[in-house]
Amino acid sequence: MTEPSSADFVVIGSGIIGCVTSLKFLQRGASVLILEAGPRVVRDEIVARFRDSPRRGDWMSPYPPAPWAPHPIYQPKDSGYLVQAGPYPYPAEYIRQVGGTTWHWAAHAWRLVPNDLRIHSLYGVGVDWPFDYEALDAHYQDAEETLGVSGAPDTGSPRSKPFPMEPVAEPWAMRRLRERLAPAYPVVTNTTARNSRSYDGRPACCGNNSCQPICPIDAQFHGGIAAAKAEAAGARLLPNANVYRIEHDASGRIVAVHYYDPQKVSHRVTGKNFILAANGIESPRLLLLSASDKYPQGLANSSGMVGRNLMDHPSTSLTFDAEEELWLGRGPQSPSSINTLRDGAFRSEHAPYRLDFTNISRIAGTTQSLIDEGVYGAEFERRLRFSAAHELNVKTVLEVLPHPENRITLSDQKDAMGIPKPQAHYSIDEYTRRAAVVANADFARIAELMGGANLRYSKEGNFANNQHICGTMSMGNDAASSVVDGFGRSHDHENLFITSTGVLPTAGTCNSTLTGLAVALRTAAHVLGDAPAPPHA
Amino acid sequence: MPTPLSAMRLSRAALVLCIAAANATPVFAVDPATPAERGHYLALAGDCAACHSAPGGKPMAGGLAISTPIGAIVSSNITPSKTHGIGNYTFEQFSDALRKGVRADGARLYPAMPYTAYAKVSDDDVKALYAYFMGEVAAVDTAPPATDLPFPFDIRLSMAAWNLLFLDDKPFVPDAARSAQWNRGAYLVQGLAHCGTCHTPRNLLMAEKSTQALAGADIAPWQAPNITSDAFSGVGGWSEQELTGYFQHGEAKGKAQAAGPMAEAIDDSLSHLTDADRQAIAAYLLGAPARRDPNDTRAAYAWGEPGGDVDSVRGVPWPTDRDQLTGPQLYDAHCATCHGASGQGSFEGGLPSLFHNSALGRMDTSNLVMVILDGVHRGGDGGGVQMPAFANQLSDTQLATLGNWLLQHYGRPQAVISVAQVARSRTAATSASLIWMARAGLGAVVLLLMIAIAVGARHLRRRRQAGT
Repeated sequence: MTEPSSADFVVIGSGIIGCVTSLKFLQRGASVLILEAGPRVVRDEIVARFRDSPRRGDWMSPYPPAPWAPHPIYQPKDSGYLVQAGPYPYPAEYIRQVGGTTWHWAAHAWRLVPNDLRIHSLYGVGVDWPFDYEALDAHYQDAEETLGVSGAPDTGSPRSKPFPMEPVAEPWAMRRLRERLAPAYPVVTNTTARNSRSYDGRPACCGNNSCQPICPIDAQFHGGIAAAKAEAAGARLLPNANVYRIEHDASGRIVAVHYYDPQKVSHRVTGKNFILAANGIESPRLLLLSASDKYPQGLANSSGMVGRNLMDHPSTSLTFDAEEELWLGRGPQSPSSINTLRDGAFRSEHAPYRLDFTNISRIAGTTQSLIDEGVYGAEFERRLRFSAAHELNVKTVLEVLPHPENRITLSDQKDAMGIPKPQAHYSIDEYTRRAAVVANADFARIAELMGGANLRYSKEGNFANNQHICGTMSMGNDAASSVVDGFGRSHDHENLFITSTGVLPTAGTCNSTLTGLAVALRTAAHVLGDAPAPPHA
Repeated sequence: MPTPLSAMRLSRAALVLCIAAANATPVFAVDPATPAERGHYLALAGDCAACHSAPGGKPMAGGLAISTPIGAIVSSNITPSKTHGIGNYTFEQFSDALRKGVRADGARLYPAMPYTAYAKVSDDDVKALYAYFMGEVAAVDTAPPATDLPFPFDIRLSMAAWNLLFLDDKPFVPDAARSAQWNRGAYLVQGLAHCGTCHTPRNLLMAEKSTQALAGADIAPWQAPNITSDAFSGVGGWSEQELTGYFQHGEAKGKAQAAGPMAEAIDDSLSHLTDADRQAIAAYLLGAPARRDPNDTRAAYAWGEPGGDVDSVRGVPWPTDRDQLTGPQLYDAHCATCHGASGQGSFEGGLPSLFHNSALGRMDTSNLVMVILDGVHRGGDGGGVQMPAFANQLSDTQLATLGNWLLQHYGRPQAVISVAQVARSRTAATSASLIWMARAGLGAVVLLLMIAIAVGARHLRRRRQAGT
């Protein structure tokens, strides 16, 4: 069988964004070829690997990388794929396999709040987006209906149509948090791509509490489902096709991409339009790898901004023991949060944040720490039972501002295919650090309201990474300071479009996938010549 | 284009025929205010919409293609449209179509329409149904595609011969020795609810074997189990509450869950009945003659126990050839999440146990294979998924390996699933007409025979009538 070598749309990356966007092109009768660096994976094998893993909390353990498409691995030791240039580590986790990183996610599918797109005008920080929130409303809705999203009505993100389904049932611990924190803090059900009822042929969540690393019943949407949808709609999806170079002609138009198969045999694929839909690390890496005589800084990089403005949502946290038995672990892993601190005049001084409650069972973590402490026997059982019932954890989800010096570059180290590894340069600025200090007061108040004891704050100055890779290929109207225009088209190459969380100019305080997808659907509508989505009524 | 039937709908629409007739007027469990309201209820009891509404189509506007051994029969528009429906039907014409299988223009209906069962319906109920269809159903002025059967089945008159042989015109007669509830149940089971359509085995001429009423039948790719009162082969071990709960919700904890065509029957019909009618049906079934398969030594739900050897797979790498995966490996990856490490289920039966589960307790493993392939869907057109389908997750070999392991540990250990069987069921599930066409050899012979016999039968009947 000959492998496909040309298409109307060549899509690089088979994650949610690449595959759902492909559906739009396919619906218009265009041919679509999706290239994925990694292999196909199936849910049952991931479930089996999860069950077999000695590291329950290592959500990458069921996803060993293919040698020909490595991705970062940190446990049991750092594989060194994502090189850390510092000063602060950016230990991103992602999956290079068919379907991408949302094979394991908490399925958070938030909309931004409108002011997130105007923080420069309103608060004098960061940058404004090239369009406003209204321009995304219809695309958000489209994305939500494809993914099957539900959520609370009052999280600060207006919508012109209802969610496609009602929220997932509230676990007991979240109910008690909501009751005891009111009215000081309204605790609401998270906006997630998780079924509260049968939706699109997939069952409702039944509370396996293993959303990460794998939902064993597909109650939450993931990229594997998106890939299956794209293929069912007629896309040709080529796994194990590690794109290492994008080729342009003398005019700067993109004419082909080159990929290595697992034997490192190079193949060339031509097309009319090229959609770069890999993540915010692999996409800029590929643009930089594609440097040529005409574009010595890499493609799409006349501004020098490719790879810059790397962002995530750093987290600080508080763990404590509530006075009542709450038994985390029933229901989804991340069901509820506080959303009243996502916007306000304070944004001129410090970062906004969400406060997010975990619902991950405490048993594995407590067991490990008790064993580390040398606790055995009846004391072990007593303490395990106590922690499993009482322990709570709340974390911040902090905005970071785009800074050009936070960036992805090419390392001088090479991966197993002989391709330069990505390298992260990262730091956390005072704007974000000030917010973490402010949030400590919220942590204390929450613990107080829950009758908390044994308060354990995350170490001052320590921030956990949330794997919400964004920035690196920012959208903007100014070609000198951005990589793509407001519709995702490269300023430098008229038939190269970037659909990725990498194009988001700012990060806001919510997980980037849904916004990345909504922006990508807006790009698709533009490419297909559709009228801009009308502002919501 | 007619909308193809799902495998599930198809098997329920299997060729029909009940014993029938019409005059008795049973006591009604419901007494709605108007005939039209009563007619609406009766239309639910008869599940008219199951065949006369196509997915995505207008109610009662027809268009569903019902695969049969002799080709697709497309359900007709039975809205009161005067141009494309039954808007011009008189009451008598309506009654004849329902109870005699004769259209207003005199043409014979094919027995995909269960008129032989509906023949049991009382005059009063037919009047109520007429009032409902003429007054309450919205007229739809579109025609579904015509049924186009190959010769000789395109000759609708051939059905006249068949009717002579099998259309029993004895009326439903209440049994004075039985309670009003039992009689109501009998009236529903034999008539509108047409249970025997699926659950009674058929003879070579596709007529139900009256001596084996409700004793279970093959409605490939599914199997309609024995629902007589026998404690081992049937539902004799169920309480009346368990049966009525099953009719209402599609499950009886520790016994069974409705899937496939039965799930549709519950969603579209039985769940809409009154408690009194569901109780009447249960009472009738529990009092109906028991039919036992001598091979059945205990009830289907009484097999198996908690256990299994899922812990044996920890740390065992998967084979490169995925068809070499073992039963416990497959169970661990696909099933244990909901059904538990020992097959015990979750949420106090909300996710059912696999032992003490009828799906694994029968020698006929058709339904076990189909449930794994197709999943369990209840909740009507909203697409409620109680159990996801695994047709796209498991190969034929994997499904057979898994199914046999399940039977060994949680079910009836003598029962077996073969790889070839899985392949046949898979084909039937995805391309429903194929399994029927595979049986077309029999069907064709049968129907040709029918025509031949018809002449003689008519002759016989005339002689008999002459003799009375």
